[in-house]
Amino acid sequence: MRRLFAFLPLALALSALAVVAVRAQQIVVSPAPEAVAVSVYRAPDRDADTAMTLDWLEGYALVTETRTVAIPAGRATIRFEGVAAGLFPESAIVTGLPDGVREKNLDADLLSPRSLYARMFGRTVTLRRTLPGSGKVVEERAVIRSGPDGAAIVQTAAGFEVADCGGGTTDELVYSQAPADFSARPTLSIETQGDAARTVTLSLSYLAWGFDWQANYVVRMNRDGRSADLDAWVTLASSDSTRFADAETAVIAGKVNREDGPRGDGPSGGELVLRCFLRPMLAAPPPVALPAPPPAPMVMMEADIVVTAQRSMGAMAAPVTVQREELGDLKLYRVPVPVTVAANAQKQVALMRKRGVKLEALYHADIIGTDSEGVRQMLRTRNRKQEGLGLPLPGGPLAVFEPHGDTMLLAGEGSMPDRAEGEDVEIMLSGSTQVTLETEVTARAARSQTVRLTARNARPVPVRFEARINHYPGTVVKAERPGRGGGAVLRKDGRTIWAVDLPANAEVTWSYRLVEGG
Amino acid sequence: MRGCGFLVLAAIPAAAMAQAEPPSAQGDVSLTIYNNDLALVQDVRRMNLPTGRTRQEFPDVSAAIRPETVTLSADGTGIVEQNFDYDLLTPDKLMDKAVGQTVTVVRTNPATGVETRESALILANNGGTVVRIGDRIEVLDRYGARVIFPRLPDGLRARPTLSVTLDTTSPGTRPVSLNYLSRGFGWKADYVALFDEAAGKIDVQGWITLNNASGTTFGAARVLLVAGAVGDGSPSYGPRRPVMPGNRMGTQSANRESLGDFYVYPIAGRTTVANAQQKQVSFLDVAGAPAQKAYHFRNGWMASQTDAQSADTVLRFSSASDGRLGDALPAGTVRVYMRDAPGQPQFIGENSIDHTPMGSSLALKTGEAFDVKVQPVVQKRERITSDEWERTARYRVSVNGAPADVVTVDESKTYWRTTMTYTVTNARAAPITVEVVQAGLDRGWRDSRVPAESIKGTQRSRDERTWQVPVPANGETVLTVQFDTRY
Repeated sequence: MRRLFAFLPLALALSALAVVAVRAQQIVVSPAPEAVAVSVYRAPDRDADTAMTLDWLEGYALVTETRTVAIPAGRATIRFEGVAAGLFPESAIVTGLPDGVREKNLDADLLSPRSLYARMFGRTVTLRRTLPGSGKVVEERAVIRSGPDGAAIVQTAAGFEVADCGGGTTDELVYSQAPADFSARPTLSIETQGDAARTVTLSLSYLAWGFDWQANYVVRMNRDGRSADLDAWVTLASSDSTRFADAETAVIAGKVNREDGPRGDGPSGGELVLRCFLRPMLAAPPPVALPAPPPAPMVMMEADIVVTAQRSMGAMAAPVTVQREELGDLKLYRVPVPVTVAANAQKQVALMRKRGVKLEALYHADIIGTDSEGVRQMLRTRNRKQEGLGLPLPGGPLAVFEPHGDTMLLAGEGSMPDRAEGEDVEIMLSGSTQVTLETEVTARAARSQTVRLTARNARPVPVRFEARINHYPGTVVKAERPGRGGGAVLRKDGRTIWAVDLPANAEVTWSYRLVEGG
Repeated sequence: MRGCGFLVLAAIPAAAMAQAEPPSAQGDVSLTIYNNDLALVQDVRRMNLPTGRTRQEFPDVSAAIRPETVTLSADGTGIVEQNFDYDLLTPDKLMDKAVGQTVTVVRTNPATGVETRESALILANNGGTVVRIGDRIEVLDRYGARVIFPRLPDGLRARPTLSVTLDTTSPGTRPVSLNYLSRGFGWKADYVALFDEAAGKIDVQGWITLNNASGTTFGAARVLLVAGAVGDGSPSYGPRRPVMPGNRMGTQSANRESLGDFYVYPIAGRTTVANAQQKQVSFLDVAGAPAQKAYHFRNGWMASQTDAQSADTVLRFSSASDGRLGDALPAGTVRVYMRDAPGQPQFIGENSIDHTPMGSSLALKTGEAFDVKVQPVVQKRERITSDEWERTARYRVSVNGAPADVVTVDESKTYWRTTMTYTVTNARAAPITVEVVQAGLDRGWRDSRVPAESIKGTQRSRDERTWQVPVPANGETVLTVQFDTRY
């Protein structure tokens, strides 16, 4: 940009005070898109049970903007304003230009105290001095004589001095104007070469960080304890400072490979530190009372949060529900109406609503060799039409409500990873206090151990209980045949499972032998 | 030091000064940018050199210059010495260099605001500034006086500056060519691949993305990009990622300019490479290159999964000359897009590629399939004994000079027989084939065997065996394999 300005000899500048800017090429500013589509992708490494941190979202979005730009003939620079702050410039694609794009640029030479000082090197600024005692303010002209790395050394009418150093004065540098080629924010621009001036509608798409989404499930158990109503919500969030009004919005489920690109950093290194050669020798004079630090900026989340529990309780008409599409091996959920993806906001739309889903509630314990990991409540079903499901289930947290008198109470919380159609769905809920499992090693031989399991039920109702034995490959589980009422032993996915119906207020035992080396 | 030198400040309106951008002192600049934070800067300036020894300064060189690499050439002149001065002007150095000089000390009376000015001789600046004012000695204090210096010391600079002392035999204006290496530059390629699954084609655009973090703007430069890391002498010993089957480096030469082992990519015309700028220039645009989607799953040795795992979605294409994408591809990132139902491209994943010669086959993982899953399970693992005997040791034992006995130790060979099942499920409405790879079959023993497998596999290497598992629409296929190994 520096070359845009013609340099005039100093003498001429003194006499004519004229500066001629030679425009090498035209600059066209496109302030905002007319239409925008936002597709939000989940944070790649966030588990289904990890909550989104609303001010540090690690997912990303594909933003596709439609803009109409008047392109002049010849070489021109088109600057795009109002793009997402977290844009990855290398991912930007511009289509719809008849003569193509010469080059794309992201200029990150930002306006900062340091860059301003560096640019004004050798030029005149105003040195504003606040004198001690009286607080009188004096202004004088000064020329900057040092780089921004040490301190401000300036030349005044009296000679050379260091700004803000000694004499009890407080100095500030005042610039008459900011150079035009510094931007407030990193700015994306393209260079075009057109045969004739024309107005074109172009499409600008790019990836940007600072977005995330997840599915949230609400399970309301029916009184029979064997079926439930399932409501799912898409929760999408943006921590970007740009607001996308009336956007076509979609979320994408499935794992998308990303290279470890640097998460965009905020502008940094822009400070100008003023140093002084003088050191305090004596106790410093009582400092002027420092103003209290400003309160930390609150991250204001524009609340557009649907309270899931409340809404799903009522007999409300089905809200806007997203529509599913196949996108290669991913799933795309499109919000059918334009919505505004506001800056620093969270939003929920319905994902699905299923009535009478068959669910099995049971108590489950995983055993590693001889040790139990504790008994947890589990909900189990299969993602099929027969069970009332049979559709892709994107992963996310899940809340379970049970009827209690006239009301519904939260009975447990868990999570579920992505589940395809036809898969088993197992949801681990909270640990159990009334159903317990004891493991004892009752016999130990050179290459084998005998383990006895005692499952106890302190509840006044019979419950289903399963223990799943995990072990090293090469170790064989020799199971005792359970007696009458002692349950059944199954084998699934290479593991041995003991499944038993525990009567009310009762205990059942079963033993197995772990034999090394077959 | 550039700019206007000492001027009569009061005569200049500040606004006029603020607008006049000093011109860059650079001449005709060529930049050759390598991949590894390195660029060769060639800067031809027209300079008027007087006869004899003169010191010439070269402002506006890269702030990340490697001064030891500077070479300068011009007709009728020779280099006496070249310096890169980075003795920067700071307040401490200003005071250090003012020792022995007379400065003005200004004091402001806090009560009245009256300024008093006195001349002071700086005696020393060792952990504090000692001055003589009139007939008294004082130590300057941060909160006491401020100091006005009459001049700036020589040799201290506002920014690192290159200076060269020349011995010129014939005077006059001539081109002076300044060449040096600079850090702070780099580039990579970014590819946009739009995949049409039904047609089995991709459209690929390639962009060169170059970064200038050198602290200096180069205007109207000729730019040449070299696809390679020069001077990267030490090999890297990091863990190697397993290579996705279907990747094979090619043996064809692209119709591009090259520099030894490296392809070079010139940018047409002149361009400004601004400081802190990321610039992208197109270098490749092809439509309709053949491409296929595939599914891949790699299992570690004896890995059992409690949950089915998504298979990788892999995009396969070729950079051979008989395909449309016949070109050498510089290292970078390939971003893959697909059109959604209304026809808008949506991002489906990305992966990085190395410098890829023409004629290569590429298989890039773009993501994991939602609907295609594999659950590997160790169903059974048992010890089996073969009838073979193996001589494992043979040595002589002699006791107290008695004739030596030869002792031979034989051992029966023991194998482990591991039965694995791989349950491959497909929730898609179309039949698919999933490539399942089992790794870890070679641990130094060379006699791992596969006595039984429900689908005929191929041994990809000693370590890996692959099976192409067909799965019907909305169905599942169970692959069962037995491995006999010595571990």
